[in-house]
Amino acid sequence: MSVGLNPYLAVAAILFTIGVFGIFVNRRNIIIIMMAVELILLAVNINLVAFSSFLHEVTGQIFAMFVLTVAAAEAAVGLAILVTFFRNRGDILVDRANMMKG
Amino acid sequence: MTFSGALSVALPELILSVGILALLVVGAFVGDKGTRPVALGAGLVLVTSAAAACFGPQGAAFNNGFVEDQAAVFAKVVIYLVSAVGLIIAEPWLKRVNGSRFEYPILVLLAALGMGMMVSAGNLISLYIGVELQSLALYVLAAFRRDDPRASEAGLKYFILGALSSGILLYGASLIYGFAGSTRFTDIAAAVQSGAGTGLIFGLVFLICGIAFKVSAAPFHMWTPDVYEGAPTAVVAFLTAGPKLAGMVLFARALANGFPGAVEQWRQVLIAIALISMLWGAFAGLAQTNLKRLWAYSSIANVGYALVGLASGTQEGVQAMLVFMTLYIIDVTGFFACLVALSRDGRPMETFEDMAGLFKERPGVAAAMTIFSLSALGMPPFSGFWGKVYVFKAAAAANLQWLAAIGLLSSVVAAFYYLRLIKTMWFDPTRGTTDASPLDARGVAFVAAAFSFPVVMPALALIDPLSKAAASAFGLN
Amino acid sequence: MDLQAIAFYVLSAVTIGSALMVVTARNPVHSVLFLITTFFTCAGLFVMLGAEFLAMLLVVVYVGAVAVLFLFVVMMLDVDFGSLRSGFARYLPIGGVAAAVLLGEMILVASAVGDRGAAVTTHYGASPYSNTEQIGRVLYTDYIYFFEAAGMVLLVAMIGAIVLTLRHKPGIKRQVIADQTARSASNGMRIITDVKIGQGIDA
Repeated sequence: MSVGLNPYLAVAAILFTIGVFGIFVNRRNIIIIMMAVELILLAVNINLVAFSSFLHEVTGQIFAMFVLTVAAAEAAVGLAILVTFFRNRGDILVDRANMMKG
Repeated sequence: MTFSGALSVALPELILSVGILALLVVGAFVGDKGTRPVALGAGLVLVTSAAAACFGPQGAAFNNGFVEDQAAVFAKVVIYLVSAVGLIIAEPWLKRVNGSRFEYPILVLLAALGMGMMVSAGNLISLYIGVELQSLALYVLAAFRRDDPRASEAGLKYFILGALSSGILLYGASLIYGFAGSTRFTDIAAAVQSGAGTGLIFGLVFLICGIAFKVSAAPFHMWTPDVYEGAPTAVVAFLTAGPKLAGMVLFARALANGFPGAVEQWRQVLIAIALISMLWGAFAGLAQTNLKRLWAYSSIANVGYALVGLASGTQEGVQAMLVFMTLYIIDVTGFFACLVALSRDGRPMETFEDMAGLFKERPGVAAAMTIFSLSALGMPPFSGFWGKVYVFKAAAAANLQWLAAIGLLSSVVAAFYYLRLIKTMWFDPTRGTTDASPLDARGVAFVAAAFSFPVVMPALALIDPLSKAAASAFGLN
Repeated sequence: MDLQAIAFYVLSAVTIGSALMVVTARNPVHSVLFLITTFFTCAGLFVMLGAEFLAMLLVVVYVGAVAVLFLFVVMMLDVDFGSLRSGFARYLPIGGVAAAVLLGEMILVASAVGDRGAAVTTHYGASPYSNTEQIGRVLYTDYIYFFEAAGMVLLVAMIGAIVLTLRHKPGIKRQVIADQTARSASNGMRIITDVKIGQGIDA
């Protein structure tokens, strides 16, 4: 394989950073925050698959598969909570989610 | 190991899973009228699982993905029983607020199953799935009163920060897998033994940060006060007890089983986290007027004390952590049971002002809350004092006298807010009458108060050897 | 530079570019579409790594289900999205600094220790099985415990979503097919006699 392990890890690191960056920057829009979380999980999956491929060992891919499964479940629960929040408040601004201060 | 052998090792979880599915079918047919029978069934399933953990076979199964040892048994018995107590508080409360839904006990069971997986994790994959199973159920429970804007806000904040922490934890896990070449803790330990490179340590730090989020240790605690305040009190009583212990045992499991060769490295990280948690919990608590927020900060500080035990990096330290957490979660369950029991004109009483003169109004509940506050403060002879004795002794034995001293100092600071609560309840003029308090929550509170003192003395004679055996399972010195 | 390298750099550039667009796009619908692009190109990267099965899963599960779920919620909530972006500039400096530090650290680690990590410990020979076959061989045997546990996680998600969002509105008439098919002339018809004038019929 002409591309080594490092470039893959770098792509994953960049994606992870973009995800964390997205959470910091989009403090107001919860849907974007959730998509940023998905980016973080995608970064993890690239890491796992790249390691798995270069180790010639399938565990990493199994792990990535479970990450995908659980992330889908997480997205479902998160969006359900978001819908109840929206029904109660009429908007999805995190800034205004300040009934509680601290 | 044969498949049936593996199943017998995982018997507690098997009972839970089958129970969940059976009760779900019952609930689906009977509907919300069946909340009480489903809750009763769930309690029965939890107690049966605890018994199965107690008397069932031990060993490692499923390719070391599931480890049932003394430590797992100890944690599971405590977690399952305290979850059952959480149901005793929650079911009548749901009925009172007209929110009876049969899914509640089932979600509690699923969270308990996740906690069981966490304390038995022998592999990064089972660690992750256990954590997620528990967390997802808790997010839903926090937002369970879907028509209450505060509850759904609490659920949302809990979810977002929880999902972020899962991502961090996973990133660490992926690095550990890559640099150790396996997800099994035993293989990781071997890889660490032959030289812990930067990549492994980097992954370890991410993993520690992720788990610290889950046990709400500072500086990863920011979700805790908001979630405690916004979520229904009966839910808080559940999520402040079992999940904390499960998270701490998971800490011990991942660090002691996976990284015994890097004790010096993870000790330093834990010392830093413990230090910040103790101080932050003590000082930030001073400014609070809401009791649920106050106890959120108190729980941050207490997790800090438990981490002092773990940061000792010794068997004695792990034992201290187990004893401390067990005594603490009984206290905190009792305290939140008191809050569930109190209401005025149909509204829950949650602030210092609400508590003024409570002693004249409800002497029993006020006395119980006094006991819990004194215990959390670490006053002898209450249970919290004994927990702290264990922790500080372990810290001193591991040459962490200075950390123990700072722990004592932050206890003194925190004493201020506990004493303020006691003073408010006993000496301030009362503000109107409280509603009749329900027997169930009051009963739980009184039993927990009786445990805090005097039952704790004979109970420690039992807990001490059990926790010692549990701590020895981790194989630290 | 050979074809593989070119493919890698193109795919990763698109992945990173569209991931950036996900978090910076003004319109959340665009964000979702960029998320789909990210997942899609990532699936390409997986194929290059020899993980065809996961690449397929990524497309089917993510592009097919999760991203569409996001899109559905974005459309359903019908939020005024113009106002959502106004805090962006305010948080940009702090977010940028945090991101730069994090990125620097991780690239440093990846480049410093990547070679010493996975790449040198290749002690498994080439497998005679295809990628999907390899996964299938262990998923239901060695990893059966995780597989079952993941099932419970999905159960939680299902119960959670139903508990939080399903509402039975009173007063809505629903179709009950069993009742419809069981209806016959004997119970479907009634002969009404003796109707009083000006009072109507109470069905």
